[in-house]
Amino acid sequence: MTLFYTHLIEIESVIEELDKMDLSKEEKMHLAQLLDSSLHHTILDAIFSQLTEEDKKTFVAYLQENEHKKIWKFLQEKIDDVEDKIKKVAKDLKDNLHKDLKEAKKLHG
Amino acid sequence: MQFKSKKPAFEHLHKKWSARARIAHDNFWSNHANALKHLALGTVGGLILLSPPQGNPQKPNLIASSENALKGYDRNVLLAKALSEKLSSEVKPLNPEEEKDIINLLSDQFGFKVTTELEGIRLNRNYGLIGGEQHLYRYPGDNLYAHAQNSADWARYSDAGIAPGLGAWGYFAPSKNEFTQKDEGKERYYLAIQTFLSPGFAENFAKYRDFFKYRKMLVVNPKTGQAAVAIIGDAGPAEFTGKHLGGSPEIMDILGLAEGPRKGAVLYFFIDDPKDEIPLGPISVKSEVS
Repeated sequence: MTLFYTHLIEIESVIEELDKMDLSKEEKMHLAQLLDSSLHHTILDAIFSQLTEEDKKTFVAYLQENEHKKIWKFLQEKIDDVEDKIKKVAKDLKDNLHKDLKEAKKLHG
Repeated sequence: MQFKSKKPAFEHLHKKWSARARIAHDNFWSNHANALKHLALGTVGGLILLSPPQGNPQKPNLIASSENALKGYDRNVLLAKALSEKLSSEVKPLNPEEEKDIINLLSDQFGFKVTTELEGIRLNRNYGLIGGEQHLYRYPGDNLYAHAQNSADWARYSDAGIAPGLGAWGYFAPSKNEFTQKDEGKERYYLAIQTFLSPGFAENFAKYRDFFKYRKMLVVNPKTGQAAVAIIGDAGPAEFTGKHLGGSPEIMDILGLAEGPRKGAVLYFFIDDPKDEIPLGPISVKSEVS
């Protein structure tokens, strides 16, 4: 499914590194779920942190509809430079994931 | 984690990324406890939408409305039962009576018109064996990793690989900059159809080529009722393969045919959608099966 933030997040570089490792399908699925979970909660946290209690409820209602245009219109009205903020937290997380990958690769296996 | 691994690199990532995922989850839920408490007391759907994507093609329905998706799933099983009563066990072209019965049933159940013939053009058959295809290059410079919308997508679909050549109609977009979400959907949910075997193809090559390009189709696994709206994105497979059509990795997953031999019998029909209103992807039946 295309999430409202998918177009802002570049995960190719992480996936490319993961793909170089000797992983079974189960192992891939497991790591992928952890990665997506971290990314998803990190992005939601960054957004929620910029919204009032009332706006959080409205945002959740838009999420339920999964209407990306409505979601972005709302977020752009409520949060300055919201896209940059999402990109920033995603990049910070990705940098950490790359560090983890580098360490893992030293373990040969 | 319901499996064991002795690979040190995997174990390292498992530990590190489990901790990161737990911290991100806990931070989110503790930082916004008040708003989320309100949600938790609301709908199941509200809770699910705050969960990350799992790469399961049925998830969009769950996120939109878990209750409806579950109802849809049950009805798809009923659809499978209804189809089993109309189809012979042998995978062969449908006779006119079967065609009529089945397109009426499917049109009724999915809420849009499906048909064996549009603009005077028919396929060679509408009941056949589908096999798993590879991803297709979507624009110059595309690569396999770029196909994944999230890492669960990569884990689920990257093993299929990417076809060395282009699809029958070339790239889906002339460049990455011009590549739209709609183009992405076309490659994600594509079928390879033996368009070259359709009656009249050789005599009307240009007309048929243009007609088939990205033509919208309904594809149904009659054994399970799992179904998808797809487009014709490639021509094939060759007759000698014994298969009658191909499906993208995502389509095979939606149809429940992504594991094992990656093939199975499916029904496939044109969708009459001149205004392009029916979205691509997994689909559930809309009404009770009679």
